[in-house]
Amino acid sequence: MTEKIKAGPFEVLCLTGARCLEDKTVVFVGTGLPMLASLFAQRTWAPNLSLIFEGGSLGPILWMGLPLSVGDIRAGTRACMVKGLCAVFEGQQRGWSDYAFIGGAEIDTYGNINSTCFGEYEKPKVRFPGSGGAGAMAANSDRIIAIMALEKRRFREKVYYITSLGFGDGEPDYRWKAGVHGRGPYRVVTDVAMFGFDVGNTNKMVLLEYHPTLSVEQVQERCELKLTISPDVKPMVLPTQEQLKLMVTEVDPERYFLGKTVEA
Amino acid sequence: MDLDKKFAEVGIPLGKKADEEKLPYVHVVEGQVPYKSKHRIPSGETANPKEGLHSDIYKISEIQQHYKERPYLWWGPNPDEARAIKTKENKFLYDKRMTQSEAVKKFIRPGINLGVAGFVNTRCPFSIVWTIVKEALCNKTIQATDMTLSFQSQSLCVEWLLGAMLLDDSRVSVKRVELAWQAFEVIGSGPMWTHCVQSGMIEVDDYTNYGMSVRFKAAYMGIPYVPVRDHGGADFEVTNRGVMTKCPFTGRNVYVLPACHPDVAIAHVTAADLYGNCRIFGQTLTCEEILGASTVGIVSCEELISNDAIRNYPNLTLIPFLSVHAVSPQKYGGYPGAVWGYHWFDMDFLREWRATGLELRKAGNMDPLKKYYDKYFYNCDTWEDFLAVIGYKRLAQARELERGQRVILD
Repeated sequence: MTEKIKAGPFEVLCLTGARCLEDKTVVFVGTGLPMLASLFAQRTWAPNLSLIFEGGSLGPILWMGLPLSVGDIRAGTRACMVKGLCAVFEGQQRGWSDYAFIGGAEIDTYGNINSTCFGEYEKPKVRFPGSGGAGAMAANSDRIIAIMALEKRRFREKVYYITSLGFGDGEPDYRWKAGVHGRGPYRVVTDVAMFGFDVGNTNKMVLLEYHPTLSVEQVQERCELKLTISPDVKPMVLPTQEQLKLMVTEVDPERYFLGKTVEA
Repeated sequence: MDLDKKFAEVGIPLGKKADEEKLPYVHVVEGQVPYKSKHRIPSGETANPKEGLHSDIYKISEIQQHYKERPYLWWGPNPDEARAIKTKENKFLYDKRMTQSEAVKKFIRPGINLGVAGFVNTRCPFSIVWTIVKEALCNKTIQATDMTLSFQSQSLCVEWLLGAMLLDDSRVSVKRVELAWQAFEVIGSGPMWTHCVQSGMIEVDDYTNYGMSVRFKAAYMGIPYVPVRDHGGADFEVTNRGVMTKCPFTGRNVYVLPACHPDVAIAHVTAADLYGNCRIFGQTLTCEEILGASTVGIVSCEELISNDAIRNYPNLTLIPFLSVHAVSPQKYGGYPGAVWGYHWFDMDFLREWRATGLELRKAGNMDPLKKYYDKYFYNCDTWEDFLAVIGYKRLAQARELERGQRVILD
């Protein structure tokens, strides 16, 4: 009998992220965790999921394994088209992609995401890499799936800098006035909870699923922002041994993500 | 095949020298005067704020409280200057082959806007950046000071320049960066970038990857600005040099970005001929646009191919000779990044830099950085010496991991 593989935070992130991806759709994949979850989805229930990577590839088959960059050769192999950044972002602006799949450093109640800085702009307390493609994806893919570990400092009422636009101030016409195309946030995936949004009403983040080892109150304690709880809130599905085995052997064998821990 | 004879038959001048006086003038303007300040919060210009000039970002922006509005400046040639420079330069097919060191000495000078092609660590102009650092910092033959860097996403190339600045800012220095992203993706942040921005050493202007790419594209198209459907409603609207305006046809708010013309652009391509016609395989990234936008284009290439080959498949020419002013054949010129058809990343090399940089950023220890530059810059005379330090074993492994993507060279 082989030893059981433990479902740590990144294994849960991988599965939960992938669960948000429907087969036969187009997803614009950001760097980091979205690449992990998209590869897992493509290897399991979504073989007809078309991926777009901002380096310029459309519809690649990730046979070489986990790309380590959205411009990686691995993100372009067996693609239907490989061009450059302008080509895929303009396609996205035209309406190619159903989902933007992005990460970030912090997120607020309305799904606005910061990946630029904490503190002042000119001399920040903490400077992050910057938008990359996420700002463009959040603006113009039809809907946004965000993925990040749930840490108290990351889930705040207001973020320091809005890099990837969610619902703005929550007003129904905010995105219209912003001049962007997409409908906005759809899911926020974390290691211990999955959130949706009260779209068309308050546009606020709503708790849909929580990790079975935690209670709803414990999830709330892990967020600075005040959560709305869905009436249909339920425990999350955790990865099976078979799924974990696939993750460890094929999706991330070099362990760039898997097996790592998260500070609560 | 006697190429010289063949070219003579079809009347193509081979190896003809450029008219030195008509080499592109690398434009550096000291103390530009802002021509207008940016429209942000309307001051009586629009009766109904819903109809124009900004989204509702100012109602919710946190960053505006800590942000002082900057006067508008072009950070390189403005569109009219760029056009004037282009019309004056040599436009015939002349031999542009030169070593990277010659190219860098010819075109890099203080105060330029340097456009860096590639994407994060994919097909980035590593050997050209290495040569800039080598010539400026070690050989002291050029000064790469007061530079503005423009790119969409970069990683080790920019870290190398910033590291060199920390060692000797009288030889290499970066005063401004216009960008979308700077870090190492799955292995983490860029330590020099974080250090330099957090200590307020460099001025930053943030866009999205599309924003930066399309700013180069607008420049390549010869237009002064371009409307986009991103940036608006986010804090880019508060901090960057784009402006919210009203679409004259739909009446909707639309964000517009200024064109970005670098003085010098550097790129690594798959193949080029002696005139600078380039092919790229794999993701083409923003190379075409950055070179097209720039006053001077310097390319290094994995393969130097014949002009005859270029003319066999002219459709494969992504970058035409008119965008290029120096061609330097350089095997492994994109190492330790990934180059389609040639090699994959050297992740250990990238991690080594990060560990070196973190020592400086977190512990304030300069020694590892000095040792790094001794090992990879001071003690290497050429890029080949640098590759020899990496060693055959790792180069071969990177080649193996690439798994044989296809390129067309004939």
